[in-house]
Amino acid sequence: MLVAGDSEVYGIALLTLKVAIVATLISCAIGLPLGYFLATRRFWGRRAALTVVNTALAFPTVVVGLLLYGLLSRRGPLGGLGWLYTWQAIVVGDVLLALPIAAALSAAAIQGVDARVRRTAQTLGAGAWRTAWTVSREARFALAAVITAAFGQVVAEVGAAMIVGGNIRGSTRTLTTAVALYTSQGDFGLALALGLILLIMALLVNIALQVLQGRGEPVVGGAGGAGGAHA
Amino acid sequence: MLELRGIRHRYGGRIVLDLEQFIVPQGASLAVVGHNGAGKSTLLRLLALLETPTEGQVLFSGAVVPPRARASLRRRVTLVEQRPVLFRGTVRENLEYGLKLRDTARTAMNGIIGDVVDRLGLNRRRHELSDGEVQRVAVARALAVRPDVLLLDEPVSSADRAAANALYQALAAERAARPLTVCIASHQLEEAYRWADSIRALADGRLSPVTPENLFRVDLPAGDGTKHVRVGGIDIAVMTDRTGPAVLAVPPTDIFVSLQPLSTSARNVFSGRVTGMSIEHRGAGVHVRADMGGVELVAAVTAEAARDLALAPGKTVVFSFKATAVQVF
Repeated sequence: MLVAGDSEVYGIALLTLKVAIVATLISCAIGLPLGYFLATRRFWGRRAALTVVNTALAFPTVVVGLLLYGLLSRRGPLGGLGWLYTWQAIVVGDVLLALPIAAALSAAAIQGVDARVRRTAQTLGAGAWRTAWTVSREARFALAAVITAAFGQVVAEVGAAMIVGGNIRGSTRTLTTAVALYTSQGDFGLALALGLILLIMALLVNIALQVLQGRGEPVVGGAGGAGGAHA
Repeated sequence: MLELRGIRHRYGGRIVLDLEQFIVPQGASLAVVGHNGAGKSTLLRLLALLETPTEGQVLFSGAVVPPRARASLRRRVTLVEQRPVLFRGTVRENLEYGLKLRDTARTAMNGIIGDVVDRLGLNRRRHELSDGEVQRVAVARALAVRPDVLLLDEPVSSADRAAANALYQALAAERAARPLTVCIASHQLEEAYRWADSIRALADGRLSPVTPENLFRVDLPAGDGTKHVRVGGIDIAVMTDRTGPAVLAVPPTDIFVSLQPLSTSARNVFSGRVTGMSIEHRGAGVHVRADMGGVELVAAVTAEAARDLALAPGKTVVFSFKATAVQVF
């Protein structure tokens, strides 16, 4: 089937990829700056905000799907959008699930950067944006892992996709919902083949991210600069 | 140039810096001395506008720095931390960091960094550098942006004399070429005395009125054992094998205060008038300043002793201390 290039399977794979990439981009575009903000700013309620974000990490996907269903259903507050059972609805659900991952893990990644890096950037005259860029650069491996984790969440997500997407053939059927469907129908061979596609997709995205990161530095003297050595 | 006023800076409720006033005059080369943990690094971070004091104000050129102006003023004040970090990337990228922020043209940039660090190897990366080299790159990186004020936190380790000399020569050259205010934190008195034109002592987060006053720059004669060196109008007896330029320190707590000369083993006995008294912040100690033949000495006594001796400005007192109490740096 894989070799034959079943057009329906390709459609499903393509939709899965589209949903995953769009959702990852949106959740990281919001989540990474949010994480940086949580990690670097001292404001009232910061600890509470971090707790909320960390709790949201463990949010069950079906609950997100359910809540979103309530919002998007025709009589719901966002019913006017007409997004229920569309791929956009799946994206919204995935963003809600991946956002806490992006925010919490990037906050942790930024907190892991030596505080002197931020001070040094500032004292050399960097403004807020440039400072954020410099600090993020130091944490780029951890941040790449954050993006990978967010992508992993959305590409593997099935609960919300099933509820708000509806698993409609030819329109909102993703790899995961298809796997769930074929498994329940007893078509293990097809389910397994789709699962394999999912795995390959995850592998390719990871490879792409690693290429983007470029060459790293050895751990020796890298983590804390040379300063750590005689601390 | 830079001024701290009414500062009470806290970390987690604990006061780490408590300064009525701290001024870095324009064009000064100022040294802040004190032990580790005295608050020197915190002081420099406040001056560098990297931290906001929990209480008090930071003034730049006589005006209180508003929160919104901090980022732009940071372009004129640069701090090199005690253990500086280099950014990911090459030495060249580090040196260009501040210049790129200021939209410096490529040719100008090459001119500025080219001669600074030829020997360091511009294409090396931070993990290929020794601690001393990192330090030098960090100083060069700070000097490259041509700040009005340069703040250095323990810029050289005590072991590396050659590096220290190179640094002070570089600073002197920079200061000869353009107006540059420098403030260096150090725990080495000798180093501070060698180049700074003014010294502030910090102890437990407060300006200590004592330390700088009881320090004397002298030239030690050759020979062993007890030496007598002329300081102002008095001769100080000191036990040391050292010869040549040195700094003598007389701990205020090692000075006996009496109203008449005592017959003791103390080799140093000076008589003079009390010029001032100040209550120490901590404990019940009193610092007694007295003019001994043109040299101001400070002695620390208990409040009880000050009362018993009825010490007051103008009163004649005798200060005694052993030759072995005199520390040589």
